[in-house]
Amino acid sequence: MEGSSEPRLDAKSQVTNQLIDFQWKLGMAVSSDSCRSLKYPYVTVMLKVADHSGQVKTKSFEMTIPQFQNFYRQFKEIAAIIETV
Amino acid sequence: MAGELEGCKPLSGLLSGLAQDNFFRHPGITEELLRSQLYPEVPPEEFRPFLAKMRGILKSIASGDMDFNQLEAFLTAQTKKQGGITSDQAAVISKFWKSHKTKIQESLMNQSRWDNGLRGLNWRVDGKSQSRHSSQIHTPVAIIELELGKSGQESEYLCLEFDEVKVNQVLKKLSEVEESISTLMQPA
Repeated sequence: MEGSSEPRLDAKSQVTNQLIDFQWKLGMAVSSDSCRSLKYPYVTVMLKVADHSGQVKTKSFEMTIPQFQNFYRQFKEIAAIIETV
Repeated sequence: MAGELEGCKPLSGLLSGLAQDNFFRHPGITEELLRSQLYPEVPPEEFRPFLAKMRGILKSIASGDMDFNQLEAFLTAQTKKQGGITSDQAAVISKFWKSHKTKIQESLMNQSRWDNGLRGLNWRVDGKSQSRHSSQIHTPVAIIELELGKSGQESEYLCLEFDEVKVNQVLKKLSEVEESISTLMQPA
């Protein structure tokens, strides 16, 4: 799984994980050493996932607000489709 | 020679070069490169303080995250200073900031993000058919692939499987995030 450069989503042997927990945080970056006056909000997500062997790992990532909106929109699309399948 | 430095055409190029160096961390933009490309008639000992002045101004503007009113006030103050800038130069700087502000800010934001960023999201929905005894159970499954990566590092791919229940659970969480964002963005 780590760092593979194979094409995505076509390989049947692609290891998939189950989502165990989804946590989120909305933060505001106020200042940094490269920019004293930042004022930008961001969303941090922490995922807890388990692979087929039951091994659990956590992954976190950060999104800007526009990235989050896109993420949310895609999930809504997925929900709409999975309902109709 | 001072007249050479007051010319406005090369100033735009200079600001671009400074932005590339300071904000986008593009390597190889040296003082000598900028001088020889943009101000070849100006001797290095005269160019150096001029470059420092422009770099300082650009850094102040970016660091202070100035809106356009603050920018105008700041630049006007610079024109009135001893050894400051001309009003033509102020106009060039103003124009430059207005067109590059978003990109520069984005770059600065990325520089202060040390966690993974979400670089991409791909998904598909499969209709999974299971056969137990003689009945066929049809369970749709969403396969979602997240492309994650830290600044300057290679992407990592995380592939997740969701059934309908799980998708809706996540959706509910995402709507909570959205609500929080709305609350945050509301004018005080």
